[in-house]
Amino acid sequence: MDCREYISEYLAGHADGELAPLARRAGDEHVAGCPICRAQLIENRALKAMVRQSAGIVKAPADLKARIRTALDQADRANDAPWDTRLAAFAAMPRRIGERLRAPIVWAPAGIAAAIAIALMIAIGSVNHRRAAAIPPVPQFELAIARYHDFQREFVPNVPAEAYSDGDSTLYAWVMNRDPVRRVAADEAQTDAFDDIARSYRSANMPDDLFDLTQAGYEIAGGRVDRMADGRPVTYTLYTGRAGQIVSLCFSDPTMAAPLHAVNWLGMRSFYEYKGYSICLSFYPTGHFISILISRMPVTQLMRDIAAADLSGISR
Amino acid sequence: MARKSGTATDKRLAFEREALPHLDAIYTAALRLARNADDANDLAQETILRAYRFFDQFTPGSNCRAWMLTILYNNFRNSYRRGARERPADSADEFSGEIDANSLDADQSRINPEELLSSRMTGQRIELALAALPDEFREALILVDVQELNYQEVADVLGVPLGTVKSRVSRGRALMRRALCKLDRARGKTGT
Repeated sequence: MDCREYISEYLAGHADGELAPLARRAGDEHVAGCPICRAQLIENRALKAMVRQSAGIVKAPADLKARIRTALDQADRANDAPWDTRLAAFAAMPRRIGERLRAPIVWAPAGIAAAIAIALMIAIGSVNHRRAAAIPPVPQFELAIARYHDFQREFVPNVPAEAYSDGDSTLYAWVMNRDPVRRVAADEAQTDAFDDIARSYRSANMPDDLFDLTQAGYEIAGGRVDRMADGRPVTYTLYTGRAGQIVSLCFSDPTMAAPLHAVNWLGMRSFYEYKGYSICLSFYPTGHFISILISRMPVTQLMRDIAAADLSGISR
Repeated sequence: MARKSGTATDKRLAFEREALPHLDAIYTAALRLARNADDANDLAQETILRAYRFFDQFTPGSNCRAWMLTILYNNFRNSYRRGARERPADSADEFSGEIDANSLDADQSRINPEELLSSRMTGQRIELALAALPDEFREALILVDVQELNYQEVADVLGVPLGTVKSRVSRGRALMRRALCKLDRARGKTGT
């Protein structure tokens, strides 16, 4: 081994204790007979120590710790509460109408509670259809209706993975497969389309959390990334199933607040009957993104199917 | 093999025992990525909650800190990396240019390891050199040197092959060394 090979192939791993036994022995033998490389090794170790000392671990602020404890407690309470308590909590939710939901929210317990509450609420007919007529015009919903009509006529997906094959796509593909959270979703979806579309949305700097509606009998027909008139990117995803089609829109809208007169709330999702359409509005936990799902099916069906998607996301 | 589901209490206790001790490490990484305290708080909190949600997927006996850092980095890529952060140098050449811009002459001299550990090699200079490193080199060095992950764990966190991690650590240290030599030269502190 010469010095060039040692420095390029061995030095960093030697300093970090990452060499396999045979390689380590070879490295030890080289530095034993080479004062220049020995000095390089000492220097690397010293530099490593200084980085650790200077850029070390910072203590998390006390208020962050408190926030996290509170959020974990809320998650546990949502999981542990008896059904009648959950129902009472959901019955109280309309009081929050008009509030801007604030992130972050623990999705899993919300999903569990949502699914159970939906089943019970549907059974007792608690969805308040009378509120629907009172909803004032909502521009975002109007956009959703217009796109829903457009896509009934023609939906041409534009985000297969190869459409974004420049630069980072290989990296993202790899990340997608190794991400423990994403892998959870992919295991059940069992479709390349799911990963491809999510990856394409991510490549466009848009949320990639697709609804996994496969448990509710839907297939994902495709996705689009477009721009709105003001230049904001928007993603469209089309789901098709026995109960009909669902179009999902996602875009950034910092001004959006949940409209009044939702027929129901399930965690961070609110449901509306609006001009003959069933709509599910969700706020993303991070950023200012909103998701609108729109369909012609009854709102109870939409709630049931989305609850199934939420539940499938945490049952794997 | 993933952890089998137990009661909610079991899950919370296990999470408190195995995951929450890494909160400071997660917050440190979040600060490095987000570069402002508000975003770092949100990023760290979301990471913890997401880890709790998917804690059943954590493999007992593996490195919980590495697992949570993987979630953190993915969360950051998905939700935060949208131009909110100050852009560091994109390449090794650009990095070198930024260091040179600090009135530093080209320098091939060596760092004296004793000096490196002396009070003169201040944390501020280390931070300066780190901050100017291209993203990929800084992330690799921080994960190895500060978070104390092994190369394979770093590869998992960053979503890159193992060989890429080796290369980034090696090149990152070389760039750090060069930057520190230049800083020393500029301040008349290099004795060689």
